[in-house]
Amino acid sequence: MSPGAGIGAGIGAGSGPGRAAKLAGWALAAATAILVVVNQQGVGIARDEVVYMQAGERYAAWWIGLVSFRHGISRASVTAAFGGPGATDNNREHPPVMKTLFGLSARLVHGGLGVDEVTALRLPSAILHGALVLWVYGMVLELWGAAAAVIAAVLLALLPRALFHAGLACFDAPSMALWFAAVRGYWRGLDGRRWPWQAGVAWGLALGTKHTALVLPFALGAHYLALGAIAWRGTAPELRGASRAARVRAFARTVIGHRWRVIASLAVLGPLTLYLVWPWLWFDPVHHVRDWLAFHLGHVHYNYEYLGRNWNAPPFPWHVALLTTLVTVPASTLAAAVVGAVVWIAGRTRHARAPALLLALSAAASIGPFLLGTTPIFGAEKHWMPALPTICIAAAVGAVWAGRAAAGAIQRATARRVPEPGAIAAIAGCIALAAAVETRIAEPYALTWYSALAGGAPGGADLGMNRQFWGVAMRGALPRLAAQGGARPGGPTYVYTHDASPAWGIYQREGLIPRTLLDAGWEQAGIDRSDLAVVIHELHFNRHDYLIWKAYGTVRPIDVVTSDGVPIVSLYRRPPR
Amino acid sequence: MPIAAAPALLLIAIAGWEVCAARRDATAVPAADGPAWRAAAAEVRAGFRPGDLIVFAPGWIDPVGRMQLGDLIPIEVAARMDAARYGRIWEIAIRGARSPDTAGLAPAGSEDRGGVVVRRYQRDPAVVVADVVERLATATSDGPRPTLELAEVGFSPHRCLQVIPAPGVQVRIAFPQLPLGRELVGYVGIADVFTRRDVRSPGRLDVEIAGRIAASATAGVDDGWVRFAAQTAPGPADVAFVVRATDPGRRICFAAEARR
Repeated sequence: MSPGAGIGAGIGAGSGPGRAAKLAGWALAAATAILVVVNQQGVGIARDEVVYMQAGERYAAWWIGLVSFRHGISRASVTAAFGGPGATDNNREHPPVMKTLFGLSARLVHGGLGVDEVTALRLPSAILHGALVLWVYGMVLELWGAAAAVIAAVLLALLPRALFHAGLACFDAPSMALWFAAVRGYWRGLDGRRWPWQAGVAWGLALGTKHTALVLPFALGAHYLALGAIAWRGTAPELRGASRAARVRAFARTVIGHRWRVIASLAVLGPLTLYLVWPWLWFDPVHHVRDWLAFHLGHVHYNYEYLGRNWNAPPFPWHVALLTTLVTVPASTLAAAVVGAVVWIAGRTRHARAPALLLALSAAASIGPFLLGTTPIFGAEKHWMPALPTICIAAAVGAVWAGRAAAGAIQRATARRVPEPGAIAAIAGCIALAAAVETRIAEPYALTWYSALAGGAPGGADLGMNRQFWGVAMRGALPRLAAQGGARPGGPTYVYTHDASPAWGIYQREGLIPRTLLDAGWEQAGIDRSDLAVVIHELHFNRHDYLIWKAYGTVRPIDVVTSDGVPIVSLYRRPPR
Repeated sequence: MPIAAAPALLLIAIAGWEVCAARRDATAVPAADGPAWRAAAAEVRAGFRPGDLIVFAPGWIDPVGRMQLGDLIPIEVAARMDAARYGRIWEIAIRGARSPDTAGLAPAGSEDRGGVVVRRYQRDPAVVVADVVERLATATSDGPRPTLELAEVGFSPHRCLQVIPAPGVQVRIAFPQLPLGRELVGYVGIADVFTRRDVRSPGRLDVEIAGRIAASATAGVDDGWVRFAAQTAPGPADVAFVVRATDPGRRICFAAEARR
């Protein structure tokens, strides 16, 4: 069997999906969302997450006040909730869709239903990750059949880093979901429907989640023009027009105007949706959009360890995104994706709307900016996560093709019937098992984890890959800190918490640390006040170790939290003064 | 087996390898407070003498090593200029790693304690005639006075003399009649990761002995702890360290030893 043959006629492909197939998608989506919710309970609170949580609660309060007629729409009320004169006032440098959902969820699920505060705040991300699985499942079901759809959904749910990010009240996983929703909406709009509103609305929501969605039109535009060019190539010469002017009109109609409503949806509904969901744009929109974009075009370069070197200024290595993806996606998933890519390339003309090209362009647009060497790399894979659905879909296509090819080959060689579903299930099961094992090992410190290709977390450390960021590992140190609670008998004990400082109050409210353990404050003054101190290990945080050594007079931590043997947090206790 | 089945077999093989490898990797490092580390620490404690140097390899396991043996590592030793003055070095290593401080040395003894290897090295140490860091009180400066710091330079700890020169204005830190041996060895670097990020220009240091430049070094923001050295004639001499930078806020840190 040649690559490209057979996969298009997947189980259920070509005919409308049955009720069972649709239900399977919903079940996978629900299972994914539950998996995210369960997993996040062991994940510490990320530094930036606290900012988004607080901003979200203000945004939600404003919307509730508006719909309950407690206030109207005024520049003063919008500014108080969504903006301000400073570049980061009310977190106005990030659009509000997810933050608003975090805030609404906190009110409804925490305040109303009594679910713990952090889970409630993170729930919208988890649900959206489930939705992503559903959307991926639906697109693959339509194009490559039920087997590929199930495999793609399962492999997407079993991406360790994506699972981690989906459990945070942040924008990265939701951005991936809404990016894909826009890709799918565009794809569906190409079928000639009269009102392809989904593409524009989904893109607008993606923009309302994270600025990275701004590059998506490059992928969609390239795909659209490619389809037009293919159509033009297939147009008979006599239909191209007799005169030069007629040919130009025909060319424009074919290449640019062949599905103009989709483009109109993106061009009109995208910005309009962004405008509607972001009250900060309701006043002085040009100025505020310019501020938003300027913040990210001039974003500070945070420290990021890559291949043994700390990077905090461009030019960055062109291969950061490629190598990081190579070692943060399970190797089996990647291998299957390579097979799938070969299948796509070999069978690239099979579908008139070129879905494989669309998915490839989507991944390229997501990852492409990081090949330039100037785009900030500090968040690593979380910034190019929209590439992940493409990888998982390719892996599913590859696994199904390999299963069918093997079944056919064995059947021909042995003259015994080999059921294709069994062969596909065997291969997909092995790939999914590997992904599940990697995911189980990775959590809850998935930022420290690297795949078996790198040698796991220890291999990543050997390679000098980034250890973690955002201070999430503090979660693992909390029980040990709580056990040290009596460092200063009879009174509160101050703890130098550096990057976990913003989350300290939430950890206390959640009962994870006693209220007698107080955050000591920042830098040297905080260390001087403290009796306990933590260092959350990143290369550029070594400086905290040295500040503590100087203040405490010892280089010896009393405890070290590790992930698969790799140090992630050191805990110091001040010797008796 | 027909060739058409090869992709399937390859995918299954990769998946099988990944399941095994991932599980093996996750347990490959001895537990931080487990028996292997405790046995290794006990062995070091049994043979340790004051003045010995303890190092850990690979570098990322350093927190675990300090948790086990940090009471034997004074801050001055952890923040040493280099390892040349130490005649006995204990290297506690996992995963077959070596410390840069033992490069080129052959261990006098080596014991594997369940995955944590203890190696002992013995050599003739450098004899330090004078350490400028310890002689800060005798120094004069024609600009801002240097301060003794425990600084992060190149993401490592170093006790060093720190000067922040005004842009384009050199600062001369003089050590009158500094005892010298046959060699003056030193290091210079830029402290503080955040100023290194925000100010990208290098710092420069010249070493003058009796008014003549004997060594020079330029420390860029990504260069870390840069070595310099000069041959010297034994006996006292006026030694000056001349520091300059083109941009403000450049925290230039240096240390130097006169060695016999």
